[in-house]
Amino acid sequence: MDSLVVENLGKCYILRRGAEKKQTSTFRDRLRIGGADGDKPGAQEFWALREVSFRVQPGTILGIIGANGAGKTTLLKILARVITPTTGRVVGVGRVVSLLELGAGFDPDLPAYDNILMNAAMLGVPKHEALKRIDDILAFAEAEQFGTTPLKHYSSGMYLRMAFSVAINMNPDILLADEILAVGDQAFQERCLQRVEQEGRRGLTVLFVSHDMDAIMRVCNRVMWINAGQVMRMGEPEEVVDEYQNAVWAQADASRDERGRRANRFAEVISVRLASAAGRDIGGAPTSEDVYVRVRLNALKRHLKIKCALDLMTRAQLLFRSTDPDAHPLGEPGVYEILAKIPAHLLAEANYSVTVSCILTWKNEPQEYPLVVYNALSFIAYATDEPTVTVPGRIRKTGLIAPRLDWTVRQEEASAARA
Amino acid sequence: MLLALRRLFGLADAAAAEEAADRDWRARKWVIEPSRQGFRARIEEVWRYRRIMWFLARQRVRDRYDGLTLGPFWLLARPLMPILIGTLIFGGLLGVDSGGPVPYFLFFLTGTSCWRIFERSLLWVTRGLENVRALVKKVYFPRIIAPVAAVSPALTEFVVLLTLLLLVSIFYWFKDGVMYLQFGPRMLAAVAAVILTVFFSISIGLFTSVLQVRHRDVRYSMRYVNQFWMYATPVIYPMSQIPPKYHFLMYLNPMAPLVETYKWGMLGIGEFPTRPFISAIVVMIVVFVAGLVFFNRYEAASVDKL
Repeated sequence: MDSLVVENLGKCYILRRGAEKKQTSTFRDRLRIGGADGDKPGAQEFWALREVSFRVQPGTILGIIGANGAGKTTLLKILARVITPTTGRVVGVGRVVSLLELGAGFDPDLPAYDNILMNAAMLGVPKHEALKRIDDILAFAEAEQFGTTPLKHYSSGMYLRMAFSVAINMNPDILLADEILAVGDQAFQERCLQRVEQEGRRGLTVLFVSHDMDAIMRVCNRVMWINAGQVMRMGEPEEVVDEYQNAVWAQADASRDERGRRANRFAEVISVRLASAAGRDIGGAPTSEDVYVRVRLNALKRHLKIKCALDLMTRAQLLFRSTDPDAHPLGEPGVYEILAKIPAHLLAEANYSVTVSCILTWKNEPQEYPLVVYNALSFIAYATDEPTVTVPGRIRKTGLIAPRLDWTVRQEEASAARA
Repeated sequence: MLLALRRLFGLADAAAAEEAADRDWRARKWVIEPSRQGFRARIEEVWRYRRIMWFLARQRVRDRYDGLTLGPFWLLARPLMPILIGTLIFGGLLGVDSGGPVPYFLFFLTGTSCWRIFERSLLWVTRGLENVRALVKKVYFPRIIAPVAAVSPALTEFVVLLTLLLLVSIFYWFKDGVMYLQFGPRMLAAVAAVILTVFFSISIGLFTSVLQVRHRDVRYSMRYVNQFWMYATPVIYPMSQIPPKYHFLMYLNPMAPLVETYKWGMLGIGEFPTRPFISAIVVMIVVFVAGLVFFNRYEAASVDKL
């Protein structure tokens, strides 16, 4: 059975433009509450969420990603019942605990002990059950000696630990976390993640909103990408995160295209493609084979020299820049092909994008004329026969690159002698 | 021995029952939809979250007096000042009579204590949602708990006034040799009047707390309305000063029989207004039910605007 079923969920806000409001609103209009705002002139609908549908199985740790204002927090708030949806419905089973903001339900003037009881009350947890858990909560928050200290005297780290500890120890069936797992010191983060994983095996469902893709990849076993209030994709973390990040990059690149130059008065980049060793254009790169980035360039003048560089990027990070050590003369005008080999056993299973820069010099003048094509090419690398070792635990399946190292296994001489 | 054992088992049973109820609750499906349905389900929910009320109530009282170096002093001084001034003006200058053998100061104090719990709790309940804004936007609990819990500062003030009332009547006991407070079964009527007063203020507050979120004017205008309302209620003057043919008009105001009953129960002056009392109860129940419906319907929309 699904622990959470979301059907056609939508949240609409009415935006009113100040000037128009003044002209049209009567006193009676102003006294109206809720409901019938929509038909007011000058009111504009804004759908923070629209037709969102998905299902979550118990034990899933679902990461929710998307740009600011995409509707992630709105979704969480609806699930936490803090706001009511405009359309659709949610059916869930079990106790929902939300961590929309750190220590939101805390009263800084009260000691930890009282705060725990208050939070229990806010989550609808019976008192005797809360009392049973107090020691666990204090222990997990590493605050055993501070049970009677008002929370305002806590360090921010302790506060954070307390907030998480209270939430997870209330035995939730569904935990809603907004960025919380991404803050705090590394050691505590790790403990949180372990605990979440452990509870996940028990059947805890976690919805985790974050902008930290590393945290998402580390924790989640499913990821949903929300854009402009709608679900773009939901699936395996790596795929969705890659796709999301490439989209973000493509957008950033599109705005940067002005700055990039495909052509100048000496030459023009015609295309950048990925090619196999056989010279065929390919869409994806098998990790066990050499692949080529092929740049076709139209030289417009004589006596040019060219020197190229290639940036390989994945998930918004520059992996490396490789520059041709030599400058090559292009004797006559015409179309030239520039090939850069990406050797086999270097790429991991991931999405990559390539930026190509060419530096042109003319005759023997010192002046350089650059051509830059941002995000000229993006491709997926896929494993064909590569044997991989799956490491238990929450370690990303592959890294950003997966070079083949030289491995040797031999017996130590000393131990050989002993035998 | 047997009794002790049974009690022990009884307690264990209660805990087990609560645990079972909790399991039930957790196994149950819940649904979030644009409009909430099921009156009974909502009541069950309020019951389940009932303990928040205590925390919120405590918070409100603390917020009010926290950081004031003379905290307890203000507790006493704030209600006392207007009472002293009022006594001087109405009892001294205008020569209003208590309508009985009771000194006017004691009469004034009694009437005011009953009125103030109404006025103050109405003000606090009105701000009940607004004051928990930060919480309501982050954590879910049945929102109706917030305005109801907000009566706490008014209750605190009432307890202070009662203490004051007791002290003053002890003073008159020594001075006149008469204990004006009527200790006896009549006081139950006074208690009932107080409970109904709080109930009435909460009922009105169900409307005003929601309205207050969007229209701050509510609280401001309420101060004026309350002042007018107080003079329309026999708080600082006895009902006996009103010509009997106008009594029914006075009693259209549901607060009038409550204050009269309170004074009758505490000081034994006036008479118990039987029919107005019953009609007041009916009015209050109607207001309360309407308030529940109103709150239920508009609470979510207004929380969006917090």
